[in-house]
Amino acid sequence: MKATVKLFASLRTGRFDLSEIELVNGSSITDLLELLQIEQKEAAIIFINGVHAEYTSNIKECDQIAIFPPIGGG
Amino acid sequence: MLSSEELERYSRHFLIDGWDRSCQLKLKNSCVFIAGAGGLGNPASMYLAAAGVGKIIICDMDSVELSNLNRQILYTMNDINLSKAESACTRLKGINPSSEIIPLNKKIEDAVDMISGSDLILDCLDNFTSRLFLNSVSHTNRIPMVHAGVSGYYGQLTFIIPGSTPCLNCFISENTQASSQAITGAMAGIAGSMQAIEALKFLTGTGEVLAGKLLFIDCMTMSFSTMKMTKKPGCKTCS
Repeated sequence: MKATVKLFASLRTGRFDLSEIELVNGSSITDLLELLQIEQKEAAIIFINGVHAEYTSNIKECDQIAIFPPIGGG
Repeated sequence: MLSSEELERYSRHFLIDGWDRSCQLKLKNSCVFIAGAGGLGNPASMYLAAAGVGKIIICDMDSVELSNLNRQILYTMNDINLSKAESACTRLKGINPSSEIIPLNKKIEDAVDMISGSDLILDCLDNFTSRLFLNSVSHTNRIPMVHAGVSGYYGQLTFIIPGSTPCLNCFISENTQASSQAITGAMAGIAGSMQAIEALKFLTGTGEVLAGKLLFIDCMTMSFSTMKMTKKPGCKTCS
């Protein structure tokens, strides 16, 4: 199955801004992070189709996934 | 009523579409609680005081350190080791003596009674634990909150309306930790200024606030993107 993945801020370095990723059916956010070599602590905010997702959330065909690092300074 | 001095001070506001004297009076009668007098809280408080917000409560338990001065433009070398809240209060009163500035030299967790009497909260904090606490106070007291965060050349911003939009806990988990203290002063200035803009629009009833949307600012490439968000089913704070 395919899903669209959008990365933000430092997560883009050495990866991409926006890409269509081929995943095995039943893949989770954890599987995607492993594929992209992103540590869980670096994926602070995750949305699937605009709804907050957990590491265990399952990904479905054509999902739009956005991943942000922690941006909490002030 | 606005005095003749106030009419002159705010005369450029009255040239903005939809911003008349009644809008200025709304600002004069408003109370904004600014949580954090750091890189975000500095520009946000300066612009709100200058714009004529009647009462600003600025809360921070820290003292000014030399490493703050790359971004915290309310402070000078003379403020080092002094209370941020007190130093900010002195500067803000200088910017606009007609605004009432209340400094709180304490933790956010000890300022709940002051938060609950405000019209709007600005989340200008620097850690997720305190941000989520502030979010729960916003939700419990039904006080809207403007959230911003910065890191390096990046920033994020959203406007939270309790009961209507996703809250902070809808998209930030309790165990989230900041990964870096990297920050450019100008980035904090942009995000803090945007918080002030959101506050002014909300308090005057002009424009459209960033409700239910997360603005991501990438100053590394000078690009802005906005993403619509929905409430998280089962959110521990707002569901």
